[in-house]
Amino acid sequence: MTEFLAQYGFLIVTLVQAGLLGLSLYFPLQAGQLSLASPGFYAVGGYVAAILLTNPAFLGLRESLGNAVFPLSWLAAALICGVLGVVVGVPALRLRGIYLALATIAFVEILRVVSLNLAITGGAVGIFGIPQAFGFQDRWQYIFLFGPLLLLTLLFARQVERSRVGRAFRAIREDELAADAMGVPPTRYKVLAFVIGAVLAGIVGAMSAPFLNTWNAKQGTFDASIAILAFVLIGGSRNIWGPVVGGALLTAVPELLRFLADWRLVINGLVLVVASLYLPQGIVGALQGGRRPAPPRRPPSVPVVVEAKGETP
Amino acid sequence: MELSQLIQNLLNGLAIGSVYAIFALGYTLVFSILGIINFAHGAVFTLGAYFTYTLVVGQFENNGLLRGINLFPDGSPFAGNPWAFALATLIGAAVAGVVAVLIERLAFRPMRARGADPLLALVSSLGVALVIVNLIQLLVGAEIYNFPSNAYGEVRPALSFELGGRTVIVRTVQLIIFGVSLVMLAVLGYVIGRTKVGKALRAVAESPGTASLLGISVDRFILITFFLSGFLGGLAGTLVGTAFGVAGPYFGVTYGLKGLAVIVLGGLGSIPGAVVGGLVIGLAEAFVPGDYSAYKDAVAFALLFLILLVRPQGLLGRAQIQKV
Repeated sequence: MTEFLAQYGFLIVTLVQAGLLGLSLYFPLQAGQLSLASPGFYAVGGYVAAILLTNPAFLGLRESLGNAVFPLSWLAAALICGVLGVVVGVPALRLRGIYLALATIAFVEILRVVSLNLAITGGAVGIFGIPQAFGFQDRWQYIFLFGPLLLLTLLFARQVERSRVGRAFRAIREDELAADAMGVPPTRYKVLAFVIGAVLAGIVGAMSAPFLNTWNAKQGTFDASIAILAFVLIGGSRNIWGPVVGGALLTAVPELLRFLADWRLVINGLVLVVASLYLPQGIVGALQGGRRPAPPRRPPSVPVVVEAKGETP
Repeated sequence: MELSQLIQNLLNGLAIGSVYAIFALGYTLVFSILGIINFAHGAVFTLGAYFTYTLVVGQFENNGLLRGINLFPDGSPFAGNPWAFALATLIGAAVAGVVAVLIERLAFRPMRARGADPLLALVSSLGVALVIVNLIQLLVGAEIYNFPSNAYGEVRPALSFELGGRTVIVRTVQLIIFGVSLVMLAVLGYVIGRTKVGKALRAVAESPGTASLLGISVDRFILITFFLSGFLGGLAGTLVGTAFGVAGPYFGVTYGLKGLAVIVLGGLGSIPGAVVGGLVIGLAEAFVPGDYSAYKDAVAFALLFLILLVRPQGLLGRAQIQKV
């Protein structure tokens, strides 16, 4: 068992972490908002934890708190990402569809360039020598952090879905104008969904900084945005298990293909192409089976035009 | 800012901005017809540079599966004078166009046939980009390849003139880039605005359903669009490659992202918008003061973010009326 954990522990934790990041994108998607901002918040959360755990300015705090500094770093990351989520979300969520996606890509890229140039984030080198959480000896022990977080998030997501808030999210996803007309304030719920995703990504980042031991601008990039989007879409965007399954599977694919050596990333790309062609409902959607995908709203020969380019005032 | 500095920045900005423009045109053409963003466009840009390089140099040193193969044992017929180089560039761009057509056949058409979620087309095109980028890495390695300095033979090295006691330098490459971009824009403007093909393309962009009722083969024009898009992307790749060297398989990633900023800034789907957006971002980057040059790559995205907040339809885009 210990051998198994020593060998695959890192991978298992990474799979869970990927599932969590997938869920952070899933929340805004529940409210119909395609946000690719998750890696940005993930990076910010990681930086918050890394700074708190290594910066000389917080030495006194660390010494007086002991291990309690780790939960504090999650809390700080959650708070900062929550506030940042509101600040970015309120203006950005005026946009829809591909425009929101592009705005969030811009947000992630700006964050990346800024963190690459600030002194406090360690510039291009980043922050290294981040102490292990609770003095963990092995990387697999991080499953004790990421595992419960995943469970809590799934429970939370389920409760949200069954609640009034979840119904409001779905109403906005299906038809924002109709939802608005029925008295569901779209902006408030869209920002809420966006902030939930931001907070989650931030906490995952704060847990990942000690896990990875080092944190730099490579953590939050456009590539990560896309990878996370692929987790959700390939896994299935209509079920809480979709992002988890997609995240775990797509993170595992390059590992499973390791025997293909140099060809594995090529195959990984092909997997994305084939999966998006043949599993339009995602893996979980396909497993649920039976339900035929909803017929396209427009005849297939007509391309889907991105709807509503910004709100008319 | 001194006048000489101002002019220098203007020239630099116009040169890089015109490459952004022709690169982004490829994006926006596809968007205007299909309503999707082809994320593999950056990879096609990279391919264009590599294709031209292959024609001009004929071999790849260093590593990768193609190492040691020499296409032209007696020296490349595509090197040595500007016209030969231009021919190689056109062929390279055309091959990139063919690749773009293949991408549409393999990754987009099957999806359209099913009426799938456009988001999936996005993931699919990203998968294609991943395949292309990693194939390049396998075949020719991750090295920087510089076009040999004599690739286009004896061209006067650079233009420079004195202004207020300081020298303004215009690199030959910049002049070539600017000239080629201008010609391309003129040709494209003519094709789209004045020819029958262009008219059909505009009809398809406006309403594919109606266009097909009028006897226009929509699928054929989608292929033409992808060829044009790949051609422009590949051409931009060669131009940038000539100026800065082909920096490995990930060469096109930054351009792919900046291209997005360009087309949103100008107005998604708008052709003049792509040109204006490209020039605006090129100039904005050229005017970033030296002390803040590290933030240069954020300029395009800051502008993108700002424009989305102020005028989501972009500078030249049409506001779409929301249907209730």
